[in-house]
Amino acid sequence: MMDDLERQLGDALGRKEPSAGFEHRVLAAVERSKKRPWFSPRFQWAAAIAASLVMIAGVVRYREAEERAAGEAAKLKLELALKITSEKLQKIQDRVNQGNQE
Amino acid sequence: MSTPFAELVREHQSMVFSIAYHFLRDRTVAEEIAQDVFLKLFRNLDSLESPAHVTFWLRRVTVHRAVDYARKRQRRPEIALEDTAELRDRHETGDPMLNRRLQALVQSLPEKPRSVMILRYQEDLMPEEIARILDMPVRTVKSHLHRSLAMLREKMERSMGGSR
Repeated sequence: MMDDLERQLGDALGRKEPSAGFEHRVLAAVERSKKRPWFSPRFQWAAAIAASLVMIAGVVRYREAEERAAGEAAKLKLELALKITSEKLQKIQDRVNQGNQE
Repeated sequence: MSTPFAELVREHQSMVFSIAYHFLRDRTVAEEIAQDVFLKLFRNLDSLESPAHVTFWLRRVTVHRAVDYARKRQRRPEIALEDTAELRDRHETGDPMLNRRLQALVQSLPEKPRSVMILRYQEDLMPEEIARILDMPVRTVKSHLHRSLAMLREKMERSMGGSR
């Protein structure tokens, strides 16, 4: 059951009209938005997808470059280790040879 | 020449404008919000399946836009120029002073109960329909209605007692 207050609220919150020409302003805004395709949802979706693809490609390339750099560093380390080992082996070989000659 | 979209605007402009106006009590901002809502409607028309869906969508989007605007305004307060007797509707029924007092009281409610009250008394919707639009449980809608009415009743009685 509606009481007095609810009836008064119905009066107070009744629908009101916007100012004259509102409809024309809306239609004009719609026409303007048609001339700016970047405002259309399709264009925004396409732009978002393109931006995501560029980001993903960037991340993939960055990771590849990182992996390549890490590989290069490991290769250098291994080469250095092999060089040191080979030098040490050479020294040992030299000493063994010296011992045999004596 | 009248397009189907122009007819939609004509049919729903007072509903959309009034929801925003009763929420914010600022005619200029309410018209801006209403215009934005119709622009969004134009861009989303393909996804709306029926006239009822359009009405539901418009109510929901307008409330969301009004809430967003109110939150921004709260962070950056402005002086409302329209909180005056300026907006007199030709079809206004009842006591204009009482109407303005009630509008001001409704506008002073927090955003959720305010949305509920506007949809209930402007749009004459049942709690179940309001719950769907605002995406909240029916019992929450009923509780907002109950508490808001009690608060308004108390404030109205107090102000009437004070004016005697």
